[in-house]
Amino acid sequence: MRPDLSIEIAGVKFSNPILTASGTCGYGEELAEVFNLSRLGGIVTKSITVLPREGHPPPRTAETEAGMLNAIGLANVGVDRFIEDKLTFLEKYNTVVVVNVAGAKLSEYVEISKRLADCPRADMVELNFSCPNVEAGMEIARDPELAEKAVGEVKKVFPRPVIAKLSPNVSDIALIARACESGGADALAVINTLVGMAVNIETFRPRLTNNTGGLSGPAIKPVALAKVNQVYNAVKIPIIGIGGIMNWVDVVEFFLCGACAVQVGTGLFVEPDAPIKIIEGLRKYLSSNKFSSVRELTGKLRKY
Amino acid sequence: MSKIVVENVKIIKKKSLGRGNFIFEMAPFSKTKSIKPGQFVHIRQPRTNLLFRRAFSVYDFDAANRTLSIIFKVFGRGTSLMAKLERGAALDVMGPLGNGFKYPSKRKTVILAAGGIGMPPLYLLAKTLLSRGYDPDRILYFYGGSSKADLVDISRIKKLGIRVYPSTDDGSYGFKGFVTDAITDNVDLTNGKHHLYGCGPEGMLKALDELALSKNLPGQLSLEAPMPCGIGICLGCIKPLRAGGYTRICREGPVYDVGEVLL
Ligand SMILES: Cc1cc2nc3c(=O)[nH]c(=O)nc-3n(C[C@H](O)[C@H](O)[C@H](O)COP(=O)(O)OP(=O)(O)OC[C@H]3O[C@@H](n4cnc5c(N)ncnc54)[C@H](O)[C@@H]3O)c2cc1C
Ligand SMILES: Cc1cc2nc3c(=O)[nH]c(=O)nc-3n(C[C@H](O)[C@H](O)[C@H](O)COP(=O)(O)O)c2cc1C
Repeated sequence: MRPDLSIEIAGVKFSNPILTASGTCGYGEELAEVFNLSRLGGIVTKSITVLPREGHPPPRTAETEAGMLNAIGLANVGVDRFIEDKLTFLEKYNTVVVVNVAGAKLSEYVEISKRLADCPRADMVELNFSCPNVEAGMEIARDPELAEKAVGEVKKVFPRPVIAKLSPNVSDIALIARACESGGADALAVINTLVGMAVNIETFRPRLTNNTGGLSGPAIKPVALAKVNQVYNAVKIPIIGIGGIMNWVDVVEFFLCGACAVQVGTGLFVEPDAPIKIIEGLRKYLSSNKFSSVRELTGKLRKY
Repeated sequence: MSKIVVENVKIIKKKSLGRGNFIFEMAPFSKTKSIKPGQFVHIRQPRTNLLFRRAFSVYDFDAANRTLSIIFKVFGRGTSLMAKLERGAALDVMGPLGNGFKYPSKRKTVILAAGGIGMPPLYLLAKTLLSRGYDPDRILYFYGGSSKADLVDISRIKKLGIRVYPSTDDGSYGFKGFVTDAITDNVDLTNGKHHLYGCGPEGMLKALDELALSKNLPGQLSLEAPMPCGIGICLGCIKPLRAGGYTRICREGPVYDVGEVLL
């Protein structure tokens, strides 16, 4: 029997649990030249902001041990062009479209989500809380009260499911996870990048013009697995695991720790067709181990 | 919609060209039909702990024998490991990627200006122009390096039968000085009959850009930037455009019109 790869999050059906992560697949146009996007469980588009942004000056990426740093600076086309050009491009694919939203103020998350409410192709929104909030003086991701409020405000204007994306750069991720759940989040995406730095010893300068950047790739997978498991034990809502996924084995690990779906990010930069290989590998693993559905794996970690 | 392909190939020939430069001939490229000069391939070395691929311009492509060649210079970690590979080693090659050069009008005299490891794409351009019927006497290949040994594989360029103008910073071979000086010394750029192509180190590209803009010389330059993904999804390999905003070298480039990018 062919194992069932489908999953459901807050009433939204995914043909398989493999999504591409925000900021690592643009708006899908380039990856569509590599494989048919309909084969993905879902695509999470690049964070969009109210106005277009060019992002930080180069260099804004640096390769590190088993990972990379990025400080792209939320380069994006802005919500207007996103809705006009980018969402319409995704129209023809049969995959879940998750629109990642970022803002410098809570009101910006609300404004963008309100616009997306009228776009049926935006199946879900994912809130990127890892950007500096000018009112709070820190990221929403670090402030449980603000995070709860932000999710609640977005839920009021966006009629479909809302995902809160959590940052690992906090002392207690479970606290933020519970706050987002209380605010009405339908699911959590765990994790965004870890703050890091790379240094050039010839110039004495950081390797990124932004000085620090977000660490991603295989280097962060152990951190991500621990955070997913911690959040899994703290909330009841579904968790989408992210961090360093390169192959199907990584995906199984995330599922065992509590994820019901995953996002592939940096892995796409190495092998743009990684999601396809992962889906095939996962299917083989499930059938040879006699699982009828991928859903059986979630949270099956046998802890000591 | 063009399809981005990955080929699993083997090194069928490796040759050291001196000064840390190597030529790799790889095969079989079974999915690749044709390659435009100026396009590049993004190479992954299996069984290393390097995360990203490394970009190399296509030096030559033989569609009949399904072989592709690159020349690379040992620069850092990735190219050092590549230099240790021998014939028979497997590589994972994505491409061809990028836009490639536009061809000039046949009435123009073509100036190709290569610095160091900028040589390969301009060799392929010269070869392609010849196969398209351009006059070999009106293809001028300016090849500059710090010294004679840096003008790698120059004999292969000479074999094309085009006009080759070597230059070296130390005067050990050909013209003594920069490529831009070799050009102005040998060619009257004021008659509006020339078309410039350039590829090489950043300083040289900047000088070529200034020269072309000041002489109203049309042309194209092939640029480089540290390049994680190679297909336009990471937004890492960007350069500022003169008209404002950034461009992705891997996707909109690597070839740009003179004056387009702020160098
Ligand atoms: C379109 C294009 C065509 C190229 N063609 C050639 C060629 O034909 N022959 C050749 O020898 N070299 C070429 N290069 C440069 C070559 O890609 C770099 O020298 C190589 O990536 C350095 O890798 P490394 O691991 O040795 O260096 P490291 O410094 O260890 O690499 C670290 C990281 O920086 C990146 N990086 C560092 N410098 C560069 C650079 N100048 N360009 C691109 N990426 C860089 C690497 O990809 C890697 O991610 C080309 C680059 C581009 C973008
Ligand atoms: C170049 C780059 C850009 C990113 N941009 C965004 C973004 O705009 N919004 C966001 O929520 N996450 C962004 N991320 C974070 C990823 O979505 C993901 O959470 C993180 O990279 C960890 O997963 P990975 O190790 O599989 O890449 C970005 C990551 C990278 C590498």
